[in-house]
Amino acid sequence: MNVALKFERNELSSNEVQLKVVGDVTIHTSSRLREQLKPLFTAKMKRIQVVLDQVDFMDSSGIATLVEGMQWSRMTGGHFVLSGLSDNVRDVFSLAKLDTVFEIEDSPAA
Amino acid sequence: MARAGTDDIATSSCGNSLDGKLCLQLESNSDCIDVLRSMVTVMTARAAMSDLRSNRVAIAVDELFANIAAHAYGGDPGKVEFETAIYSENEDQMLIFDFRDYAPVCWHGDIDKITSQPLDIEHLCPGGLGLRLIHSVADCCEHNVLENGNHWRLIFNIGDGENDECSA
Repeated sequence: MNVALKFERNELSSNEVQLKVVGDVTIHTSSRLREQLKPLFTAKMKRIQVVLDQVDFMDSSGIATLVEGMQWSRMTGGHFVLSGLSDNVRDVFSLAKLDTVFEIEDSPAA
Repeated sequence: MARAGTDDIATSSCGNSLDGKLCLQLESNSDCIDVLRSMVTVMTARAAMSDLRSNRVAIAVDELFANIAAHAYGGDPGKVEFETAIYSENEDQMLIFDFRDYAPVCWHGDIDKITSQPLDIEHLCPGGLGLRLIHSVADCCEHNVLENGNHWRLIFNIGDGENDECSA
């Protein structure tokens, strides 16, 4: 059970970035995820990949934060990709009926 | 309820339910939310629930507590009493979570009505999404407006054949 949220950012190319998230994404930590994502939305990225294989728990505030990424992709035509979802996190997306709305990969490509 | 040595949390085991009831009192803006999650883990283990269903129960409890903190108390500190126990009725067993707040704002929404609306991705807010998650994972969610606050009850049937491969 992680209260703290940690991030690792990897620039895959000039317009492609990977953000690895470690910890639980909840109402207490989702603002930190938003802080990490917001600059990427304005940096003219073409692809933002959020790696969630080390996130065991995510609540609605976490999902809502990621929805902002999906809205960014719709506005800009960029790709906002979620990858490596644990069974629990994937289940929450399914319960929220958002698993078919997001672009989801099984595992990080890079 | 016995005090536990800090100002914002008290725990005890009490009551006549199967395996004992767990009680917790905490502040709505508390950083002790992990204690709530631990209690859920204990109770879902007692109920022999799978990891997936245990996570679903944790989501519902987490979301309800967050709703009380954010909407009933408006982010201000306020007392929340929490009880959880396994009850047996005839041959059925249920895992029940009770929340009691003393917020000045009583919730008058209709969960069924809110959750029956189509999901609006463009205007998604955590509060509405949280209620959808609660509604989709709990077998029953009851709410009663009291004179001085709210009472919420989440009920999860045990051993009802729920398919752990996503029945919602």
